[in-house]
Amino acid sequence: MSTKIQRLADIDRVIHEPARLMIVALLAAVEEADFQYLRQTTGLTQGNLSAHLSKLEEAGYVAIEKTFRGKYPLTICRLTDRGKDVLDRYRKIIKAAL
Amino acid sequence: MTESPSRLLEENPDAIANRLMQKAHNRDGLPEIASGLTFLTAAALMWLQVVFHPGSFGFEASSWSFILLGPVVGFGSPWAIKKVRRRFLIERVGYVELKPVNRERTAVVIAIAFVVAAVTAVAVMFAVEAAPPHAPYRGSFLSSSWMLAGTGILGGVLAASSGRSLRYYSVGVLLAAIGIFLAFSRVSLQMGLTILFGSIGLLSLISGSIVLLLFLRQPTEPAQ
Repeated sequence: MSTKIQRLADIDRVIHEPARLMIVALLAAVEEADFQYLRQTTGLTQGNLSAHLSKLEEAGYVAIEKTFRGKYPLTICRLTDRGKDVLDRYRKIIKAAL
Repeated sequence: MTESPSRLLEENPDAIANRLMQKAHNRDGLPEIASGLTFLTAAALMWLQVVFHPGSFGFEASSWSFILLGPVVGFGSPWAIKKVRRRFLIERVGYVELKPVNRERTAVVIAIAFVVAAVTAVAVMFAVEAAPPHAPYRGSFLSSSWMLAGTGILGGVLAASSGRSLRYYSVGVLLAAIGIFLAFSRVSLQMGLTILFGSIGLLSLISGSIVLLLFLRQPTEPAQ
């Protein structure tokens, strides 16, 4: 049991932050989503969401693509394979520790 | 941020995603409007079955339409909601592409539901037929009153659990109350179910329309 709790020290700090965990969890549940959907669903402000997405993109967990749907600009975000692996590992560590 | 950070860190990421997505799904009232229209259509078809004589073209057409309503709505409603959101509400609700449906899993769920429904129906028929003529439950087991009250309460519980918010709880309580009221009134089962389905449809339609109007009145923020 103690080793399981000790594994918490290995947890990924980028994902462990609550707002980023929400974003990553949401992106893992869908194929892709745009900035507006993430903002509406998480309840984060534009600035906050933008900052967290930048961190996730820097870490290579989220891929961001700017495009248009008609005249409407879309900032589409999707979880990368690396992001999926990190979330999977995070899931296992939390499940074992709780 | 509306979520409590400590709660988030104690929760499975899948549970977080499901909860947030369900909240987002119900935010614009479209799913309620769709289910309201479905129940109103079902009530209208049931009413037609009361009006037309069994064997007439109207009776047959309404019966078949009623049978086909479930599958058509089951597959068509999510598609229609997605189309309306993408066409008219994308600036407010944003864009999301859900993961493709797992066809094998869906087929298994449909097969299990079909088997459970068939076994339950056969078991109930067998229980009623096998009961002695004067068994205390023989007359009341599937009586109109029990069916109406049960359907109202079951509908209320399903409505409340589908949204898990105050408006869904209110609709659930109202449905249970209508079901119990109909059980004590002297309406026939067919008419009672028509009224009950109509009430479910009307309540969902009104609730969904109010939510949609309030949602549309919220100011939009510029896209990124």
